[in-house]
Amino acid sequence: MPTVTIDGHSVEVERGATVLDAARYAGIWIPTLCYHPALSSEASCRLCMVELDRGDWRQLVTACNYPVRHDVIVYVMSERAQQARRGVMELLLARSPDSQELKELAERMGVKGTLWPKVTESQRNCILCGLCVRVCEQIIGKSAIGFAGRGADRTVAAPFRQPSEDCIGCGACAAVCPVGTIEVRVHKDECEVEISPFKSRVKLLVCKQCGAPILSTQVCEQALRNVGWATCLPMQACSQGNVGMGRKSAHATFWPELRKRLRLCPKCRRLQTAGRVASP
Amino acid sequence: MIDAPARFASIADFEGFARSLRSQDRTGTRSVRLCMGTGCQAKGAARLYELFEEAIESASGRGRAGNIEVKPTGCHGLCQRSPIVVVEPAGIFYQQVEEPDVAEIFRETVLGGRAVPRLLYQDPESGRKLEAAEEIPFYKVQQRIVLSQNGRIDPTKITDYIAAGGYSALVKALTSMTPEEVIAEVEVAGLRGRGGGGFPTARKWRSCRSAAGGPKYVIGNGDEGDPGAYMDRSLMEGNPHSVIEGMLIGAYAIGSEKGYIYVRNEYPLAVKYLRTAISQAQEIGLLGENILGTSFSFDIQINRGGGAFVCGESTALMASLEGRPGEPRAKYVHTVESGLWGKPTNLNNVETWANIPHIINRGGKWFAGIGTEKSKGTKVFSLVGKIANSGLVEVPMGITLRRIIYEIGGGIRDGKKFKAVQTGGPSGGCIPAEHLDARVDYEELTNLGSMMGSGGLIVMDEDTCMVNIARYFTDFLLNESCGKCTPCREGLAQMRHILQGITKGDGQAGDVEKLQALAEILSGTALCALGATAANPVLSTIRYFRDEYDAHILDRRCPAKECRGLFIYQIDAEACKGCGICLKNCPVDAITGERKAPHVIDEQKCTRCGTCWEKCPFTAVLKV
Repeated sequence: MPTVTIDGHSVEVERGATVLDAARYAGIWIPTLCYHPALSSEASCRLCMVELDRGDWRQLVTACNYPVRHDVIVYVMSERAQQARRGVMELLLARSPDSQELKELAERMGVKGTLWPKVTESQRNCILCGLCVRVCEQIIGKSAIGFAGRGADRTVAAPFRQPSEDCIGCGACAAVCPVGTIEVRVHKDECEVEISPFKSRVKLLVCKQCGAPILSTQVCEQALRNVGWATCLPMQACSQGNVGMGRKSAHATFWPELRKRLRLCPKCRRLQTAGRVASP
Repeated sequence: MIDAPARFASIADFEGFARSLRSQDRTGTRSVRLCMGTGCQAKGAARLYELFEEAIESASGRGRAGNIEVKPTGCHGLCQRSPIVVVEPAGIFYQQVEEPDVAEIFRETVLGGRAVPRLLYQDPESGRKLEAAEEIPFYKVQQRIVLSQNGRIDPTKITDYIAAGGYSALVKALTSMTPEEVIAEVEVAGLRGRGGGGFPTARKWRSCRSAAGGPKYVIGNGDEGDPGAYMDRSLMEGNPHSVIEGMLIGAYAIGSEKGYIYVRNEYPLAVKYLRTAISQAQEIGLLGENILGTSFSFDIQINRGGGAFVCGESTALMASLEGRPGEPRAKYVHTVESGLWGKPTNLNNVETWANIPHIINRGGKWFAGIGTEKSKGTKVFSLVGKIANSGLVEVPMGITLRRIIYEIGGGIRDGKKFKAVQTGGPSGGCIPAEHLDARVDYEELTNLGSMMGSGGLIVMDEDTCMVNIARYFTDFLLNESCGKCTPCREGLAQMRHILQGITKGDGQAGDVEKLQALAEILSGTALCALGATAANPVLSTIRYFRDEYDAHILDRRCPAKECRGLFIYQIDAEACKGCGICLKNCPVDAITGERKAPHVIDEQKCTRCGTCWEKCPFTAVLKV
C-alpha cells in the first residue's frame, strides 16, 4: 500500500485512493465544495488545492481526485497551497456574496472577505459545483437537471429551462447542495412538491388520515420498483382515487395492510400502531 | 472516379498501381493549378474554375486543346493575393486573378506559353516581375514539408496523392518496419506535438502502445479554433490523405484499429474533402479490414465539432466524441491510459499526423536535421494581422520572428511601425520588437511569456492598443470558457471587468497588480490548459507594455489612440481646407468654423464618435 505523507504525517492508503481520502484518514481537513463521497469527483470548484512534491518542483493538484498510485508527499498548509485555496474562495465569495454557508467555510479557511466585486450572475448563490447534477444522474438515475450555457453564463437548469418531466421530486439535489440554492417547496393546496428553482412539480402522496403530505408519488413508485414491489402497489394521488391496483398476490393479508400503511403519514402510522398496542 | 481495381488485395498490387501512376508520361501536359482554398473561393475562384473549363472545352472544339487540364487544388499560401492561378509546365504564378483575366491567361500562357506580366507578382523592393513562385520572397524563405503537396494536388483525388508519392510511407512501414521501429524512427526525428503542447510524439505513442487494455483509439485533432488561425483547415482541405496516411502509420505503431478525426463543423470544405478522402481510401483497401492484404486493420470516422473552442483540448474533445458536453477533465490519469470511453487513446494534431509520412519516407535523421536542438522539423503558421503578405507559411523551427515577419510577410502594411506579434493563439503572449530576433522554438517562445500554440501569428502595428488587445483575448477566452471550474469562469470574468474599466478610462491605481494576482490564481488552479494559460495575453502585455497600462490608468490616455474616450479629436488648422464636411456630419454640432477657414472642435460637446475623422477628405482631423 502506498504511503501518503501530508504535512509530515504519513498514512497508508489503498492504491487508487485520492489524496483527500488519505487526508481524511489522517484527520487533516481540506476544504471541499464539489466533493461528495457517493459521487464521482469532477474537481470543478478547485477549493481542495494542495501541493504535490514532484522531486525538483511542486505542483498544485486537487486533492479530491488526485489518485495515489505510489508514495507521495503532499503539503496542505504550505503557503502556496493555502494561497491557491484562498484565491479560489475569494472568487467564489465574489460570485455568491450572500451565501451564509460559503461565508462560514471561508471563515474556517481564514478568508475574511473578498476584494473582488460581483461580476457574474448566480442563481440564489449557486456556485456551480454540480453536485445536484451528479446526484440526479448517478444516484437517482434521472438526469432531470444539467448544466446550461457556457462560461460565465453557465447555470444549472432542467432542459430548455422548463419544468422537467423526468424530475421525480425526490429532493436529492437540494440535500447535496452546499449553499442552499435548491429548495424543496410543498404546495399543500395543489398537493404538489416543487423543486425550486427548476420549477419542476410532482404530485404528493397524502396521508389518508390527516391529509398531510407524505412524499412524492413518483419517489414512492421508484422506491417500490427498486425493491421489486412495483406491480403490487396501488398509488393514490391527491383526491384522484386509486392510480393503479396491484395484482393479487399470495400474501393476501400482507398487501392490503402495506397498502393501507403506505397511505399514512409517519405520525398517523405511529398513532395507529400505538392505538393497536393499547387495545388489541 | 478512381481508375484502379476495386480493392488492392496485396501490397504488390498497390505498388504496381502506384508505379504506373508515378511513371505516367506527362510531357506535353499543360495544367492550370487553381487554388480552391477557402480564401480564394471567397474571392471567386469557383467561377474562375468554370471559366477555365469552358475555355478548355471551346479550345478542344477547335482542336487546339491537346493535353490541358485545370486542377482545383488546396491553399497555395499567399492568401493576400488571392485568387491564385499557377500554369504548368512553366510554373507561372498569377495572383489576384479576376474573371476577365481567364481568357488572356488561357490564350497567352496555356496555349502560347508566354507570361502575362500584368498578373505576375511584383517584388516591392526591386520592382521586378517574378514568374515562378519559388522566386517570390514569400515562398523562397519557406521550407515546405507538410505543405509540400498543398496547391499541387487535387485533394479530391487519391490518385493525385499516390502519384505524388502518397501512401509509400505506409507501404514502407507495413513491409519493412515493426511497430517498435516506427516509433523509434519518430523518436529519432524528435517530432513534438504541433497542436501547441509540444509533447514528444514518440513518447506519447509508446505510452499508448504499452498501456494495458483495449481497444485503443487514435484521434486526429482538427478542431482548430484560434482567431486568425487556419493551418489545420488548409491542410485538411488541401491534402487530406497526408493526415490519413499519418494516422494509419500511427495506428499501426500503437496497435489501434479505430481512428477519429474531429473537425470543426465551421470547416465545411475540410469535412467534405476528408469524407471523400476516407471513402476513396476505403474503396481501394487503404482503410478497413486487412489493409492491402495484411493483417493490419484500421478505419477512420469523421466527427464534426459543435463550435466550442475548448473542444480543442484533448479531454474535452474526447468527451464531445463520446456525446457528452465538451468539458475537460483532470489529466492526472493520462489519456494514453484512459481516454476515449476509458480506453487508451492517442490524440495528435492533424499537422503532427501529416508529418509522419515524411519522417517514415525520408528517415528520422533527415527530419532531425531541420530545426533547433529541441524543436525539430518545420512548423506551419498562419501569418495574419497588420502584415503586408497575409498567408499560410511553413518554416523550419529556429527561424527568427523577424525573418517570418519581414522576409516572408513583407513587413508591416501601409508602412506602419511594428509593435508586437502574438503567437500561440488567444492564450499566447504578445512579443515586442526587442525580441524579434527570438527563434521560433517551443522553449524560447515559452520563455518570452508566449507559446508555440497551434501556429497563429497575429502581427500588430503602432495603431494597436495593447491593453485593448489583452481585453479582446480575455473576452474571447471568457466566452469560450466552458465554465466548469471556478478560476477560469470567475477569474476571467474579474479580469475582463478590470480590463474593460481600464479601456474605458475607469482604471484605478493597483489594477495591474490585481490582474497579476488573478493571473496567478488562474495559472495555478485552473482545471485545463485553456484556463491555466488564459492570463498569457494579459501578463505578456503587462510585461512588455506596462507603460501603456500606466498611460490608460494614470493619465487617462490611450497611446495607440484606439480606446474611445482616452484621446480627443482636433483639427489641424494648416491641413484644414474649411470644406465643412466634418461640420455637416457631426451628430452633436461640436464643430464650428466658417467656410474656407480652419474649423474647430468643441471638446466639451464632442462625444468622440470619430465621424469627423472618418469623413475628412484631407486627413486634417487628428487623434491626440
